[in-house]
Amino acid sequence: MSDDLKIVGLLCNWCCYGGADTAGTARMQYSPNIRIIRVMCSGRINPSMIFKAFQEGADGVFVGGCHIGDCHYDAGNYKWSRRSKIVEDILEEFGIEKERFRHEWISASEGEKFQRTMEEFHKTLTKLGPLELE
Amino acid sequence: MSYVLAKSQNNEILEAGECGGAVTSILKYLLDEGLVDGVLALSPQDDVYDAFPVFVTDSEDLLKTAGSYHCAPTMIGDLVQKYFIDKKVAFTVKPCDMRAVEELITRHKINRDNIYMIGLNCGGTVSPVSGRKMIDLFYEANPDDVVSEEIDKGQFIIELADGSEEAVKIHDLENEGYGRRNNCQRCDVKIPRKANIACGNWGAEDGWTFIEINDEKGQELIDGAKKAGILETKSPSDAAVEGRSKVENIMIKMAKKNQDATYPTVSEMTEWSRCISCYACRDVCPICWCFENCELNKPYFKDEANIPPVPIAFQGVRLSHMSFSCVDCGQCDDVCPMDIPVSLIFDKLQKKYYDRTGYVAGVSDDIKPPLYSPEKTEL
Amino acid sequence: MFEIKHTLCPSCSVGCGINVILDGEEIVGTFPYKRHPVNAGKNCLNGRNSIECCESKFEDIDSEKAIADASKEIKSCDSSEVSVICSGYDTIEEVEAIKNFAESNGFNIGFYSDDLKNVDDVASYDELAAAGKVFAIGDLLYENPLIGRRIVHAKQNDAKIYALSKNENAVTFNIADETSTSSVQEFLDKFAGEIDDSSVVVFNYVDEAGDLDKLESLSCKVLPVFSKPNTKGALGIVDPKSSDEMIELFDNTKLLLVFNDDITEDFDYDFGRISKIISFACCENDTTEIADIVVPVKSWLEQDGSFVNAMGDEQNFSSVIESDNLGIVEVIEELNK
Repeated sequence: MSDDLKIVGLLCNWCCYGGADTAGTARMQYSPNIRIIRVMCSGRINPSMIFKAFQEGADGVFVGGCHIGDCHYDAGNYKWSRRSKIVEDILEEFGIEKERFRHEWISASEGEKFQRTMEEFHKTLTKLGPLELE
Repeated sequence: MSYVLAKSQNNEILEAGECGGAVTSILKYLLDEGLVDGVLALSPQDDVYDAFPVFVTDSEDLLKTAGSYHCAPTMIGDLVQKYFIDKKVAFTVKPCDMRAVEELITRHKINRDNIYMIGLNCGGTVSPVSGRKMIDLFYEANPDDVVSEEIDKGQFIIELADGSEEAVKIHDLENEGYGRRNNCQRCDVKIPRKANIACGNWGAEDGWTFIEINDEKGQELIDGAKKAGILETKSPSDAAVEGRSKVENIMIKMAKKNQDATYPTVSEMTEWSRCISCYACRDVCPICWCFENCELNKPYFKDEANIPPVPIAFQGVRLSHMSFSCVDCGQCDDVCPMDIPVSLIFDKLQKKYYDRTGYVAGVSDDIKPPLYSPEKTEL
Repeated sequence: MFEIKHTLCPSCSVGCGINVILDGEEIVGTFPYKRHPVNAGKNCLNGRNSIECCESKFEDIDSEKAIADASKEIKSCDSSEVSVICSGYDTIEEVEAIKNFAESNGFNIGFYSDDLKNVDDVASYDELAAAGKVFAIGDLLYENPLIGRRIVHAKQNDAKIYALSKNENAVTFNIADETSTSSVQEFLDKFAGEIDDSSVVVFNYVDEAGDLDKLESLSCKVLPVFSKPNTKGALGIVDPKSSDEMIELFDNTKLLLVFNDDITEDFDYDFGRISKIISFACCENDTTEIADIVVPVKSWLEQDGSFVNAMGDEQNFSSVIESDNLGIVEVIEELNK
């Protein structure tokens, strides 16, 4: 059932986490499948965290960081952005569709963008169905 | 960058070494002048198929290391890093050794000021056990009678105790699953240009070593050895320089052809189901230097119950740690008890990374592996 | 000074080569021994960890005193109540010395070979890799990976693989065409019709002695793989005892002399019932924990010797580091004085 889809969300404390908060405060509706983990910066996310999430049964992993230029630590999101390409390349090797891994820049004020992104991601994952690792 | 032809002035070395004995002479110069604490070079043990690095501190012992050993696919990067960290040491490097050392230098694991890298041009290496089988099958000779081997003009040539030679086309050997190791077949770094000097017989006339001087330290080395009276040099002719680059280009072309072969993805490869989680691939990897601190040993990744491991939680994690720095040395293939072609996947990811960034592990001049640089650029 | 030296892996009876890295007098790591015909530089985790035995050596024991104490104990006991345990960890030379020692003094001798026995005409590793069908009893890919590798090679040569293991998650199952978790007896009966002269049966355990007779009566070659490096060599010198016979031996023993083995690992037995245990060992193990006297002896790294591997090849090895301890052969000479 699509309602059982599990999304792990790694959200930057300074922006996307705030964005999710904004969406919540404004009572914007989106699918409740995401489990949010707050991190201090998208730049501290290792590819292995994404892999661990998939290994432990996540059907999709979402990473939210600050817009380019807005990083609280100057260049963390640049680092993440480069790293995310490696993650994509590696996921492809293991037969995990690259659509299951998504990242987006969302600021604290963009509650609506967070809502929209979640809805889109949920739709994508519903189409793909649950992830089956061999 | 400049070229010289060099020849040893020492008769003993001339006799023992290959094509001019320049490498052994330069190592002798370094030891005799006290420029290094010791020299790390391959020395044959029980036979020509059985060579490994020995540490030489007395130049008299250098003769034992003279000659080239194509059936000894060793790796020197991690040895230098682990056991020679505070020593001044000179060592010979194949291109993959050089690339590993370069990657370790960028990680502050080796200090460039402490080392002399004497590069050896490399057309590829052969695994000793399968190499012996190959000689048994494709040559009229007994593997035990082989005294030296060489790769030249697309052939794998063996020399026997009675002085006779036998050659078979590498292409034919490799079609039958023998010949050079798989990673060597697709390797397109044939001349170690990050070493202080790169030596070889490509383009050289008989009895001389062709040397490409790559940096100032390399130039000082050649000048010093000349001054000490152990080396004589002369300028190579234009034809020699051209001949050498022709050999290199043919080798690279051969490699590119092998690279074009399609690599399967991990999820398409049945080999991975044989993995027994022995970590031999990680432990032998010259780029992996975290040892006990490896993330795979952390409680959240340690997974002793699942054998074979979930691929993404084992090789996936390793790939994310270092695949962009994979130097394609093939050590992981060599030590895998289950014959899983591990390096195939790591090399593939490094090539994908090259496509995105232009970074070739251990060859590009970047100060840091691009993944960790503080630069404000996106891919 | 940095040095690399050849030796053999002592982890099981496959007989892999392994290089050790020395920094001065200390063993600091392993290096692939790619020239070795058995394993071509490939070592499993057990093999690479085998050098760790150097870390648990006996530093505080006065070995002269320990030998004197042991000698006194042995002389004070009636010889019929003394039992000597030799093992597959002992080299050929050591097993011979232990056997002579036991026989000349009238001691009982116990030797346990995983309830397996010697088969004269075993399949070689190459024959296993070239087999048309492989019957693998035990999780050989995981437990004896360099034998497992030959099964993989056989598979690549289109052999059909039949695997039996008590563990339903056995790694060998991943490459097998037929899998089973039954008893050895049932496994052999089930596939009896499929075993032909191109087959090789490779096994590292049996359930009962009867299985061995059955295995030996097959029309194909077999290859028993032991858990200790020289069990095959020791079998050529000493007759093995079954686990029941070993327990019976323990029951009738007042003084037990264990030569380089960890008997607590092989037997679920209350060793407190034996009045005195003397362990001759190169490093700490559970048997030295319960022993009354521990006599430190040289490890395989510290002496020359030879092991016979599962396919019957006798392989020599040379000492890699020096040791002040005596070897088992020398200790026995001392005890005989």
